Amino acid sequence: MPVINTHDPERQEIVSRRTVLFGGGVSLLFVGIAGRLYQLQVADYEKYQDLAQDNQFNRRVLTPLRGEIIDRFGNSLASNRKNFRILLIPEQSRDVNGTLDKLSKYIPVTDEKRARIIREIRRRGAFTPVEIKNNLSWPDFSRVNFELPHLAGVLPDVGETRDYPLGEASAFVIGYVGAVTDKDLSTQEGDDDRTLLRQPGFKVGRDGLERTYEKELRGHAGKMNVKINAHGRVIEELSDEATPPVQGKTLTLTIDAELQQKATKELEGESAAAVVMDTVTGDILVLASTPAFNPNDFNVGIDAGLWKELTNSPYKPLLNKPLSGIYPPGSTFKVVSAIAAQASGVKPSQTAHCSGKVWYGNRFFHCWKRGGHGTLDMKGALKHSCDVYFYEIAKKLEVDILAGVARKFGLGQTYELGVPGQKKGIIPDRAWKQQYFAGQPENQPWFQGETLSVIIGQGYVTSTPLQLCVMAARVASGRAVRPRLVRAVGDLVLPEPTAPMIDVDQDYLKVVRDGMNAVTNEYGTAARSRLEDPNWQLAGKTGTSQVYRITAEDRAKGLAKPEDLPWERRDHALFVCYMPYENPRYACSVVIEHGIGGARAAGPKAREIMRAVAAKNPAARTPIDPRNLVQRATHRREG
Amino acid sequence: MSSLILPGPRRGARERLAQLHWPLIILLTMIAGVGVITLYSVAEGNWRPWSMRHGLRYLVALSVLIAIGMVSIRHWMALSYPIYFAALLALAATPFIGEINMGARRWIEFSGMQFQPSEAMKIGLVMALARYYHGLRAEQVSHILYLIPPALMIGAPVGLVFIQPDLGTALLLAATGIIVVFVAGLSWRIGMIGAAGAVAVGYSAYRFEFLKTYQIERILTFLNPDRDPLGQGYHLLQSKIALGSGGLDGKGFMNGTQSQLKFLPEMQTDFIFTIFGEEFGFVGAVGLLILYLAVILTGLSIAMSAKSHFARLAVIGVVATFSLYVLINTGMVMGLAPVVGVPLPLVSYGGTVMLTIMAGFGLVMSAHVHRDQDVLRSSDLL
Repeated sequence: MPVINTHDPERQEIVSRRTVLFGGGVSLLFVGIAGRLYQLQVADYEKYQDLAQDNQFNRRVLTPLRGEIIDRFGNSLASNRKNFRILLIPEQSRDVNGTLDKLSKYIPVTDEKRARIIREIRRRGAFTPVEIKNNLSWPDFSRVNFELPHLAGVLPDVGETRDYPLGEASAFVIGYVGAVTDKDLSTQEGDDDRTLLRQPGFKVGRDGLERTYEKELRGHAGKMNVKINAHGRVIEELSDEATPPVQGKTLTLTIDAELQQKATKELEGESAAAVVMDTVTGDILVLASTPAFNPNDFNVGIDAGLWKELTNSPYKPLLNKPLSGIYPPGSTFKVVSAIAAQASGVKPSQTAHCSGKVWYGNRFFHCWKRGGHGTLDMKGALKHSCDVYFYEIAKKLEVDILAGVARKFGLGQTYELGVPGQKKGIIPDRAWKQQYFAGQPENQPWFQGETLSVIIGQGYVTSTPLQLCVMAARVASGRAVRPRLVRAVGDLVLPEPTAPMIDVDQDYLKVVRDGMNAVTNEYGTAARSRLEDPNWQLAGKTGTSQVYRITAEDRAKGLAKPEDLPWERRDHALFVCYMPYENPRYACSVVIEHGIGGARAAGPKAREIMRAVAAKNPAARTPIDPRNLVQRATHRREG
Repeated sequence: MSSLILPGPRRGARERLAQLHWPLIILLTMIAGVGVITLYSVAEGNWRPWSMRHGLRYLVALSVLIAIGMVSIRHWMALSYPIYFAALLALAATPFIGEINMGARRWIEFSGMQFQPSEAMKIGLVMALARYYHGLRAEQVSHILYLIPPALMIGAPVGLVFIQPDLGTALLLAATGIIVVFVAGLSWRIGMIGAAGAVAVGYSAYRFEFLKTYQIERILTFLNPDRDPLGQGYHLLQSKIALGSGGLDGKGFMNGTQSQLKFLPEMQTDFIFTIFGEEFGFVGAVGLLILYLAVILTGLSIAMSAKSHFARLAVIGVVATFSLYVLINTGMVMGLAPVVGVPLPLVSYGGTVMLTIMAGFGLVMSAHVHRDQDVLRSSDLL
């Protein structure tokens, strides 16, 4: 190849031109870079300044401890216990799946769980910590803590969980807490509370007093600004800007935990309810319902199998029987009937002859005693629970008067207890029937024959065990006692109400009390339920309410006795009582579902419960003064 | 050899040392100095682990620069093809003997020293292309037949680097090569056709999944950083926050909260501009950009004043590589280019890249010192 002189002006010129072009292009791009810098650092400075602050400073919400619930003497009914948890802050983890992989070496993370966590992150947003696992054992918890430097975004946390020491025994009074739902979030007012609800593992009251007093029990969130690094590690707590959380208020109940437990134990094995209240103050000492669920199972999220079992059980363990169970009061209603009879002019000395049945309208009305009671006055009729005596009265008794007396004595209404789901029951009268049978004009008028059923607590009339207890308390005291369950909210002790006298002639009550005393102490229907202690004479009234009428057909099949019937067709057993007979202080009602007879099933249970009440005599003891309660040191926790 | 050299002044070593382009050396040293102080800050006020070594490496690299600069540009031209082919061979061998590092096979262990063939190729490609065009007449440059050799020269190393896989370096090599070809005088018409072709290749690469998932992720994230604030876009967002919060005059040396709190990844390498910009603000960052631009323009003026065609094109190639590094890195940390892992020359910590850059500027220096030397147009120098 020939050697050519490199002087090639054309080539030189092109290169020079292009070099200038290249230099110009690069310079322009530099101007562009500088322009972008200007945009970021000068024009949008404030925006990035704010973002940098957000990066660096994290406002931590300090979850308050939930208020405790204690009984009248300060025993715990609901408290908080330590719960070791592992949380994850998605924002700081960056690779959630990777972090979960690493975490699964120390604590099990199933695919199912992983899916749930991812779902929750999507729902709550990347900035809110999500719970990976709670109720960790201390060894597991400390192992994760040890590995923390390799687990970006993982936040160990000592949280609190609700603890119900009485378990099943307090299920229906206290209720339980549960996880926050979307609905809670959307209906919650106030930013602070909404932030609180978003905290991992935060629980809100789902039922019972936990639900009703949610606002008081929840407390107020505290705040703390912390300086964090990119891994979410707190490197500085800016305590001067911190406000500590305020624990929720303590709820002091009228319940006596010890008696509550004893009563529940007494009812064990039965589908039953028992209520004990102070006839003076209306304080509910016992509100027992069996069988019951364990609220501790509900805190951590109930297992599906257990839930199914609870909902399918014929013993209705999810039904709050004292407040929401409605039963025909049966003969316990005769307490009211006797007063109504006197109010409409019947003298207690008036007698009637019981031959076992009476013809009225187009049929026989039977006494529970087939052979009849013979001749009885009002006291005798109560003592022996004679149906015919009351049938005779019912023939001429105005149902509206009967209903009016029933309401005065506490039936057919609900009370401000703070426990949701209370039932009213039915106290039938003319107006009620008209409304009930609206659209069936032929059924709207009241038929006197129906009064015959109502007067012995059958027919349309229904009531709850609570109402029956109130009835007994009102009969005992002559005052319109109103039951109450909450003694104090926080420091505020609710004043003990003084109940006004019921506006019926107090003499009418004397006959009823006399009759009730005879039931237990003068060999009446509940002689077996007598309390021997002369200081604690128990006055009661039995009741057996028909669930199923044994027909002639059944008898033909040999089904004569109630024990022959399947459980769910047997009669309910009821018992109401108060004590001491002189100068009463406690009233009690017991309902045993399908317990067959008040005298044999409900009475003895009530007697044992009342025996325990008498032994302790809680009304004579000084209840706790919530103002003297030392609040546990406010617990600080990151979230 | 001497017969090939045209008559011209011959100078001694001392004279040549005086002939060095000292302003360029000062500019480069200032930039490296920015690296030293920024690395000191990144290490929370420690010379270790990066700052001290960075400075020492610079001094070593500077002596390499001077050494290369002292050698006549004719010798470098003569070595162009050997260097290129040696680098190509090493690149081809890398998949078999290379070390896997961060999922890619890029390194060769060479008698105890790590050696990255793709870095050597950055210089080798520039030299080989300059050498090639040195032998062409103006009218041959845009002839389609004469385009085949440079296309192969560029295509072979780009392909090899791409399969390592190192998309960033592959694109950098390709872009550098294309700039040299363009400056050498490629006609605009062919340039346009080539650009259209590149777009088509890019599209089909995306369409037919030639790219690794993480590469696609990076590009998609670049196009919309808010798409996934905790994934790939996280770094970019944090970088923008750090830079933006620096403001006009910065938070002050060692006071870059975002960087000190480790919100940024790879602070000592890819995101070092962010640290500098956070601590020294808009004023400092623009100052650094001006230093870079000064180096680039100085380099281009050296190219313009060099007599030999080889020297001019080689210098432009080196300056082009340098410019691309700066533009891609700064663009990347500000969200103007995808996060591809390109360091900021002389400031980012990393010995190989620094050596490459300084060796390249050694060539520039050689072109300057020997600017009056012309070299015969000959393709059979060897």
